[in-house]
Amino acid sequence: MSRPSAGCVPRLAAGCRFSDAPGQGDMLLVPEGALRLMGVGRKIVERCDGVRTFADIVGELRAEYPALEPARVEEEAAKFLERLHEKRALDF
Amino acid sequence: MEYMPRALIAEITHRCPLHCVYCSNPLEMQVRQSELPAATWARVFEQAAEMGVLQLHLTGGEPLARRDLTELVAAARGAKLYVNLITSGIGLTAERLGALVAAGLDHLQLSFQDVEEATANDIAGARAHTHKLAVACLIRRHRIAFTVNMVVHRENLDRLEKMIALAEELQADRMEIANVQYYGWALRNRAALLPTRPQLERSLETVSAAQERLKGRMRIDFVVPDYYARYPKPCMGGWGRGMILIDPCGQVLPCHAAGVIPGLQFDNVREHALGWIWQESSAFRRFRGEEWMPEPCRSCDRRSQDFGGCRCQAFLLTGDAAATDPVCTLAPSHGLVEAVVAGVNAGAGAGVATSSPGWVYRADPV
Repeated sequence: MSRPSAGCVPRLAAGCRFSDAPGQGDMLLVPEGALRLMGVGRKIVERCDGVRTFADIVGELRAEYPALEPARVEEEAAKFLERLHEKRALDF
Repeated sequence: MEYMPRALIAEITHRCPLHCVYCSNPLEMQVRQSELPAATWARVFEQAAEMGVLQLHLTGGEPLARRDLTELVAAARGAKLYVNLITSGIGLTAERLGALVAAGLDHLQLSFQDVEEATANDIAGARAHTHKLAVACLIRRHRIAFTVNMVVHRENLDRLEKMIALAEELQADRMEIANVQYYGWALRNRAALLPTRPQLERSLETVSAAQERLKGRMRIDFVVPDYYARYPKPCMGGWGRGMILIDPCGQVLPCHAAGVIPGLQFDNVREHALGWIWQESSAFRRFRGEEWMPEPCRSCDRRSQDFGGCRCQAFLLTGDAAATDPVCTLAPSHGLVEAVVAGVNAGAGAGVATSSPGWVYRADPV
């Protein structure tokens, strides 16, 4: 499957959500499992809200991490979303 | 605590309209009158969440046989658990599904016995297949995760490609293709269920090609029959390490089949808090960790990966629950498994389904 395009609008797939239990907020719950998301990974997935485009998300990350090379931010975010997409945790 | 449970399997009833020849329920089932009331389940769900459990699997029997299922889903979601319903779909209507989703259902797993109606109904001992197809269409109207569960064995494994096509057509997010595991009813029917080696090899190729083709659309998880494996499966992720099963009357077990092991005492959520049972129950402590391990497990590098395999399988095949799982090629008793596999593969034309296997059907609790 392909990388996210600039205009695509990622969102968590059906049946995938962050835990709302006390102390478990960094666990992304998916069918038959859970992924612990911290740091940048968590920030990316939180922005996959079905409203922001992939370009929006990359723009916000670049603003938050100005020290990082802009091309690398996009590359890393795309790879990360692609992996979650393959796990069927994310739609775009 | 040293080990934290992450998943709770709640067998809320043993009642079921199907009679599958490989049912994972024990041969001795709990009757309706002894089932835990919803209020007790609700208390248990709260306790489980406090212990760190993230996922609840509501199963049976057929969970829909309980009229208060929606109440149970709401209680579990209220306890902040991820709620998965494992069902045959029998008893599911548009209204009931709507209520379950509104109560907080996250994921629904719909089981199929085959892709062809006649053989599916033959395995289930009931006319269920057509209804399941209708139920699948209802499910896709809701935004919940949808898994198609397909149980495979010698009689249907040659139709694997069609089964995958069916799951695609039903727009499943995920497909679980599970070879029958030989406990309970399935062990009784093992001679007719265990696939041949050529069948298994073809199925591995089919699954691998489908996984590549469907990447990003439908995830496929494949459970191979462990009789053909080189090393045993890490059953339940290790005894008492991360999973809890509660049966319909409230007994707490480390796995589906643990009741077969003689001498284990199971504590009940009617009498004890779940946290106490997890830590202190003699059944959970019996095979936790590595102290109980015999050689060759005790000094094996793989002991922290597969935990010596499955205790129930060790007991069912060797008579000793503390033996190395005989499916392991390093086990002293591996000859038992080799003999079964050799027997299945000795028939000429291996891979051709037999006509009338003479099933032992799962009985229903009275």
